[in-house]
Amino acid sequence: MISVKNLYHSYSNDEKYAVKDVSFEITEGEVFGFLGPSGAGKSTTQGILTGLLQLQKGDVTVAGYDIKHIKNEMFNKIGMSFEQSNVYSKMTGKENLEFYRKLFDVKTRNPQELLDLVGLGDKGDIKAGEYSKGMKHRLTFARSMINNPTLWFLDEPTTGLDPAIASEIKSIIKEKNKEGVTIFLTTHNMFIADELCDRVGFIVDGEIKLIDSPKNLKLQYGEKFVDVEYVDGKEAKKESLSFMEKDDIGRLKEILDSYEIRTMHTKEATLEEIFIKVTGRELV
Amino acid sequence: MKLWHSFVKELQLSSKSWYFYIEVGMAVVLLLILLVAVPEETDSRTDEYLYAGDLPSDYVDLIYRGLLDDEDEDSEYERVQIKVGGDLFGADLFVTDTRNIYFVDNREAVLRLAKEDKEVGIEIIPSSDGGLDYLYYLQGYESQKLKNLYMVLQNNKVNYKFVERHMDRQTVETIEKDPFVLNNRENIVPVFLTYNGSLMGLFIIAAYIFLDKKEGIAMAYAVTASKVWHYLMSKIGVMMVTTISTGLILVIPVMGARANYPLIVLLVVATAFAFSSLGLVVTTYYRDMMQSFGAFFIIIVALILPNVSYFAPSWEPSWIKYFPTYHILEGFKEAISIGGSAGYVIFVSIVFLAAGLVLFMFANYRFKKTLTI
Repeated sequence: MISVKNLYHSYSNDEKYAVKDVSFEITEGEVFGFLGPSGAGKSTTQGILTGLLQLQKGDVTVAGYDIKHIKNEMFNKIGMSFEQSNVYSKMTGKENLEFYRKLFDVKTRNPQELLDLVGLGDKGDIKAGEYSKGMKHRLTFARSMINNPTLWFLDEPTTGLDPAIASEIKSIIKEKNKEGVTIFLTTHNMFIADELCDRVGFIVDGEIKLIDSPKNLKLQYGEKFVDVEYVDGKEAKKESLSFMEKDDIGRLKEILDSYEIRTMHTKEATLEEIFIKVTGRELV
Repeated sequence: MKLWHSFVKELQLSSKSWYFYIEVGMAVVLLLILLVAVPEETDSRTDEYLYAGDLPSDYVDLIYRGLLDDEDEDSEYERVQIKVGGDLFGADLFVTDTRNIYFVDNREAVLRLAKEDKEVGIEIIPSSDGGLDYLYYLQGYESQKLKNLYMVLQNNKVNYKFVERHMDRQTVETIEKDPFVLNNRENIVPVFLTYNGSLMGLFIIAAYIFLDKKEGIAMAYAVTASKVWHYLMSKIGVMMVTTISTGLILVIPVMGARANYPLIVLLVVATAFAFSSLGLVVTTYYRDMMQSFGAFFIIIVALILPNVSYFAPSWEPSWIKYFPTYHILEGFKEAISIGGSAGYVIFVSIVFLAAGLVLFMFANYRFKKTLTI
C-alpha cells in the first residue's frame, strides 16, 4: 500500500535533511506506527506521503500512485486526520462534513452518521468555532473518514482527548482496520502505538532506527519482571525479580514456596523503554 | 461541480466574515459622502473685491453698466453684506460666469480682505490722463507672469484690445461637439470602481489565503480530490461577486440608468480577476500578511499613482500610461459616460482578462508547491 525508498527531504534545499534515507514498506490492511520525538521527521515523512510536501529525492508510491506525479484521484482513497484541528470555524460541524464530501469522486459517508460515531451527534448544528478543542479534534477525525478511505493517515489521533473519548477513537481505528483499511499512525504516544500497531518504526533525527512489531521488539529488547508482594512473619515485603536471571527465578520459587503471597504482577518492558534503549533518546 | 461547491462555500463564509461587511460598509459610506457632501457642480467662480469709491459717480455708473450689459448673468447686481473679521461692510455683487465681483463701499474693507483673508483686492482710481488706474493688493508670492498679466489687462501701453483682436483671429476647431462631461459626483465613480476592484481584490484575497493557511484549512483542502485551481478560483469568484455588489451599491444611486452596466460589470470582472490573481502570486512568496506587507504596499502605491493625473489632468506624463490603473480609470469613465467608447472598455477588459489568466496560471503553479507550507 505504501512503498518508500531512500527518501530525503530538506526544508532549506541544502544538505540539512529533515528526513534522511528513509525506506519502509506498508502492506495492505496493516497498522503501521511511525514513532519518534518532536522534530524527528514524522510529520515531514507523512507530509510527503500525503502530497502536502513536494517529493525532493527518493521513490514513493502511495495506494498505487507515484508521488512524483500526484493525481487528484489518489485522494479519493486517502483519509487524513491532522494533529491540529483544521475545520471551518464559521460553519457548523455538519456543514463542514457536507462541504468536504462534495470534494470527492467516490461514495461518501453520511455526515450525521460520522458525527454520531465520534460523539458529536447532537452538536452537528453548532458552529465549529464554538466547539471545544477536543470536539474540533473529533470533527477533524470524522472528516478524515468521509470518503471511506482505504489508506488512512492519522496524526496523533488521541492527543488532547479525555480517556473515554480516546478509547472510543481507538475502537473506531480498530474497527476500520478490521474492515481492511491500511493505517499509517504518527504518534509519540507509545501506549496507543503498542495497542494499535502491527508494526512500528522508530525515527530519530530524520533516520529510521528500527522497524518491527511491538511483540518482537519486546522479545528482543524487553526484560520481563515480576513484582511480588508477600508476608514474611508480620512484615509485608516487595521484590522485583527478572525472568531472565537464574538467581531471580530461584528466588521467586523460594518465595512462592515459603511465604504467603499478597500480590504478584508480571511486568513487560514498554515500547517507550525499548525506544530509549534503541535510540538513546527520550520521546519528548 | 467541485469548483461550484467550493465557490458556494466561499460565498457563505465570506458573508459571515468581517471583510465582506467592511467592503459593503465602505461602499455605503462613500455613497453617503457623495450624495450628501459632494455637490454635483462646484462653484468655480473666483471672488474679486474692488473699491471704486474715489471715482466720480458717472465713472462708476459706466463700469456698472458695462458689467450688467456684458457680463452679469442676470443683468442685475445684488446688494450684499460681507463680513471681514468681526465687521460687516456693504457691497454690490455682480455674478459673471467666472467671477463674483464685489464693489465694496469701504477701502479699508478691501485692504483687510487682501491682508486678512488673502483675497484679491483691487482699488480703481482716476488716472492723471482722465482714464482709470487699477491698484492691485497682492499677497507677495504671486509670480511675475501673473503680475505681467495684470499689466496687460489694465495697462494701455500693452493694449488689451490688441491682444483680444489677436486672439479672435485664431481658429479654434471643435473636434467633439457637445461632449458629455461627468459632474463632480459622477467623476468619483471610476475611482471607486477602479480601486474597489483592484486594491481590495489584491489585498483581501491575500488575507483570505493567509487566514486559511494559518488555520490549516488549506492543508485540509489539499488532501481532497479537488484541484488547487478550484480552491483559488473559488476565492477569486467571491472577490468578483463582492466587487460587483459593492460597485453597484455606489454606481446605481449616482448614475441611475445613464451608465452602461454590462460594460461596467465586464470591466469589474476583468480587473478583479487580474488583481486577485496578482494578489495570489504575491501570496505564494510569503508566509503571512506581515511578511507580505512591504510588497503589497509598493504595489498599492504604484496603482494609486494614476489617480493624481485623473484629478489633475495637467499632470499626465507619458509614463503614467504604463500603470494598469490608468487604463482602468479611463475604461470606467467611458463605461459610465453617455456615448463613451465601448470598444475601449472591451479592449481594456480583454487585456486584463488575458493578464489575469497568465497570473492565475502562474499562481496555480506556485501554490502547488507552497499552499501547505
